[in-house]
Amino acid sequence: MREKQIDKLKDYKYGFTTDIENIRAPKGLNKEVIEFISKAKKEPKWMLDWRMKAFERLKNLKEPNWQKPKYPKIDYQDIYYYSAPKSASEKPKNIDELDPKLLETYKKLGIPLQEQQRLNGIAVDAVFDSVSVATTFKDKLNEVGVIFCSISEAIQKHPELVKKYLGSVIPLTDHYFATLNSAVFTDGSFVYIPPGVKCPMELSTYFRINASQTGQFERTLIIADKGSYVSYLEGCTAPMRDENQLHAANVELVALDNAEIKYSTVQNWYPGDENGKGGIYNFVTKRGLCKGTNSKISWTQVETGSAITWKYPSCVLQGDNSIGEFYSIAITNNYQKADTGTKMIHLGKNTKSKIISKGISAGFSDMTYRGLVDISSKAKHSTNYTQCDSLLMGNKCGAHTVPYIKNKNPESNIAHEATTSKISEEQLHYCQQRGLNPEEAVGLIVNGFCKEVLQQLPMEFAVEAQKLVGISLEGSVG
Amino acid sequence: MLKIKNLKADIDSKSILNNFNLEIKSGEVHAIMGPNGSGKSTLSNILSGKKGYDVSGEILFENKNLFELETEERAHKGIFLAFQYPLEIPGVNTNIFLKTSLNAIRKARGEKELDAIEFLKLVKIKAKELKFDEEKLNRQLNVGFSGGEKKKNEILQMSILNPKLSILDETDSGLDIDALKIVADGVNSLRKKDNSFLIITHYQRLLDYIKPDYVHVLMNGKIIKSGGPELALELEKKGYENFN
Amino acid sequence: MEEQLKIDFEKLLENSNFSKNNVEIKRKSFNNFIEKGFPNRREESWKFSDLNQIISKNIKNLSFYNDLSKPNKIDQSIFIDGLEHNKLVFVNGRIEKIEFDYEEKNKIEILDDLFLEKPKNANNSLLFLNNAFVSKYFKLIVKKNYSLQKPLVIYNITNKDLVSKSINLKVDILLEENSSLKLIEFSDDKSTTNFININYNLDLQKNSFLKNYKIDNNSNSNIKYYFNNISQDNNSISEIFLLSSGSEFIKNEINCNLNGKYASAFVNGVFILNKTKHHEIKTNINHLVENTKSYQLIKGVLEDTSKAVYQGKIFVDSKAQKTDGYQLSKAILLNDNTEFNAKPELEIYADDVKCSHGSASGSLNEDSIFYLMSRGLNYKEAKKLLINGFLLDVVEKITDFEIKNLIKNIMSLKQ
Ligand SMILES: Nc1ncnc2c1ncn2[C@@H]1O[C@H](COP(=O)(O)OP(=O)(O)O)[C@@H](O)[C@H]1O
Ligand SMILES: [Mg+2]
Repeated sequence: MREKQIDKLKDYKYGFTTDIENIRAPKGLNKEVIEFISKAKKEPKWMLDWRMKAFERLKNLKEPNWQKPKYPKIDYQDIYYYSAPKSASEKPKNIDELDPKLLETYKKLGIPLQEQQRLNGIAVDAVFDSVSVATTFKDKLNEVGVIFCSISEAIQKHPELVKKYLGSVIPLTDHYFATLNSAVFTDGSFVYIPPGVKCPMELSTYFRINASQTGQFERTLIIADKGSYVSYLEGCTAPMRDENQLHAANVELVALDNAEIKYSTVQNWYPGDENGKGGIYNFVTKRGLCKGTNSKISWTQVETGSAITWKYPSCVLQGDNSIGEFYSIAITNNYQKADTGTKMIHLGKNTKSKIISKGISAGFSDMTYRGLVDISSKAKHSTNYTQCDSLLMGNKCGAHTVPYIKNKNPESNIAHEATTSKISEEQLHYCQQRGLNPEEAVGLIVNGFCKEVLQQLPMEFAVEAQKLVGISLEGSVG
Repeated sequence: MLKIKNLKADIDSKSILNNFNLEIKSGEVHAIMGPNGSGKSTLSNILSGKKGYDVSGEILFENKNLFELETEERAHKGIFLAFQYPLEIPGVNTNIFLKTSLNAIRKARGEKELDAIEFLKLVKIKAKELKFDEEKLNRQLNVGFSGGEKKKNEILQMSILNPKLSILDETDSGLDIDALKIVADGVNSLRKKDNSFLIITHYQRLLDYIKPDYVHVLMNGKIIKSGGPELALELEKKGYENFN
Repeated sequence: MEEQLKIDFEKLLENSNFSKNNVEIKRKSFNNFIEKGFPNRREESWKFSDLNQIISKNIKNLSFYNDLSKPNKIDQSIFIDGLEHNKLVFVNGRIEKIEFDYEEKNKIEILDDLFLEKPKNANNSLLFLNNAFVSKYFKLIVKKNYSLQKPLVIYNITNKDLVSKSINLKVDILLEENSSLKLIEFSDDKSTTNFININYNLDLQKNSFLKNYKIDNNSNSNIKYYFNNISQDNNSISEIFLLSSGSEFIKNEINCNLNGKYASAFVNGVFILNKTKHHEIKTNINHLVENTKSYQLIKGVLEDTSKAVYQGKIFVDSKAQKTDGYQLSKAILLNDNTEFNAKPELEIYADDVKCSHGSASGSLNEDSIFYLMSRGLNYKEAKKLLINGFLLDVVEKITDFEIKNLIKNIMSLKQ
């Protein structure tokens, strides 16, 4: 077993497991488990009530099944909903007091947490299974009034903000997975940027799944108050296992007047092995509300991991003149599947949205872009531009483009373009003639294909993402 | 340096080159002229290792069998092809492409790879020599370049990669007179006793600037006549039609 | 409605003498429809056009049995003028005329009592309804190597004798090798609101050529569904043009299977809608073998509170290398309450293909209007000129010169 794992590590370098003692809630989904979670997090009663309301509601909901990637029925009673390292049950005040095993884990993942080694200009919230184990640069951010902490901490310390905004973008009753998350969510990040503040550093959360048979139910809430700006990035990895694990997150963004939120994701959950065994089910609900006038929300995602990726980071453009953007690279290889895209709901006047999606499928994988652009009759003078390109490598994989385009406004314009193609033999030959081997050539051409999206990432992560694009396609060049 | 013996090339069982022979020694400049469709690009494609042809015969490059080498290995060994139709590669920055290419070749040769600063210094010098607008190097590779710019970009790459054997496939077609001189300067400055050239062209004009050692006429898949620079003049007068 | 369906179905069986096979298939189809009912928006392919709702809103007391024993008079004045053509005339669902005056008789065959089959698409309840209630099931065969001298026009006429009925017609057309046919479908409706459900099966054998022009131009209150199933063998070509304009509701569904190498399909269409009209074109182009081609261009001009929907799908099988698929839809919205919905879809499993789609909707380009006004046109004239240009682009794709002019006439008559 050990050996097999080591061999596989060559492909997925984040596939190791941290050997650490855990505290778990009993297996299964029931009232007691929800109470357990709420208690472990020392939550006030209103929070527990909210969870219970979601749990009640869940009983009447069915799992959706319109998506293209089908998966075996999930037994929701056979999952641990809460698992946390014993040593982190009391979050230490000082990061240097953190369990060395956890420090070592994050160091191995390229995210050193200790004072002297921290990444420059990036504040990190580290979420390990069901708990946030550390948040860096908190004090520095505090000086300008930025709140950056785990959602659990925010529920205790900033209840008025949480009460006001939690569930205000993704209603408790939205759909099965969103409701499930509302009942059992464990940890995630909370960000509040006060009026007029430009957040002085990148904020980021690093999600790590470690325990087996455990679901991760992330909950993140970001509020940019009037005239503020924040750039936030999340990264994700998990050990290699033969089982499928569920990561069902809810992420809500709220941008008030003149505020801007830039949200980037580099998703590299374990994708399963080359035969499609194991890997994370990444079923995520992400939605941003451009509540104020002139507000802007921009989603950028690089989705290379997970056995199944199923998510549509969306923008509700409620404020007049608000802007929504979605930049996506999704890569599937081997037996991976993805059904991803966005929704741009135009409600306010002069709202603008832009969608750039690049899908690459290789091996036996299957990729779907699904998107909605809806311009309501009140959204006068609104525009959308969508560009949706797919690249296929081989004829065992599939690419599917399913845009839904609704225009109810004669003064608004929608333009949508999509193409499907492959890397041409001529381009490959040209690069090889200049000395590149086929894998380098494919990496280069694919990165070129993705450029518009890569450019959107914060500098520090763009390089990492570029490498990831190359690595994800390894073995797919015949 | 290069020995081609009895080369035969078919595509979809249509014969294109047949009984083709050519030898190029170190330091020599050879020009090949021939009508459209006579197989000139096919020859340069085969030398560069393009797939899709049925080939037989023998090609030796520095006494190595070329058929055993992949395209990129030939590039590492110093074969450079300036394409008749340089490819566009969207999203790929020209400078980054050039640096990746140069370092792949340097690495294969066991030389130290250049860092960004060293590379940019080199590019600056070469671009200036060839009067190539440096700003263009920050654009996507060949995307939105004019025909002439693409050709000049090929020559710039050639002069940066410093190959042993450069094959220029109609690099002069579509160039204005100034650009033509620049291309010729590029070739002439690389012209040393270890570097050889195979220049495919339709026009005598280029050969005014690059004096070839030999001129060959390619027709019906083989060389029907070889000679010195005077052959090109003769060809220009008579045309291919009456040449036989 | 279920009661009515049952009564009418029994009445139909009683008054006709269908073969044993057909009675059996009809019963099965009937039960299937009873189970599913009219499609509604919960079904993906009816997401933008809820037929169940549209029917219940527009037709009171819908019934399903047509007494076809007595002939109907044909109003000759509606025949297309200035174009010599063959005729198949249906009035209120009854065949009243079959006329091939311009053709060699032994090169054409018409059958009218075919065996029904179970619909292949088990999700489409309207195909089951059609199977259950169709009376005569026609088939036209164009023999090997024969090209019809003149176009064939299929007239679908309804008149005031028809009230709240549903008409179900089913016509198969087989083009044998090397044959060709120009087919115009022309409807004229003077009835009160009815539901019309027409099912075409078009089978194109090797090297055959079908030009199919569907003209729905005369304003009427009917609710219509056309299902066109096309299968194409090697080197065959289908060219379809849709003028979607007159009916209150019409959904034209085209399912085209490119089964033979070098087969190609062209689907071009225009929506010209006003008032409360709601039209849909839905295509499924299936590229199933190598070297096939499809091209789709759909444009719409919408006024008042009208609504147009285009759902176009290109499917490319993993065997279908070297596929060339193209699709573009564009709409101009002229009023506040108009709506254009598009779902252009690509589903691709082969890598050596060239497929693209585009969709755009919005207002008339004000810059162009301004430009034209600076050349002396008034706003209305400028607008009209631009709209005509916008639509003409599609009409110009029609390869038959005579019919192109006919359609241009029909369209400009309207404006
Ligand atoms: N991929 C191909 N498939 C079929 N024929 C080809 C292909 N490439 C080249 N040819 C044919 O081979 C012949 C030689 O072409 P080429 O080498 O490009 O000529 P030249 O460069 O001398 O103009 C021409 O007749 C051309 O049409
Ligand atoms: Mg050539």
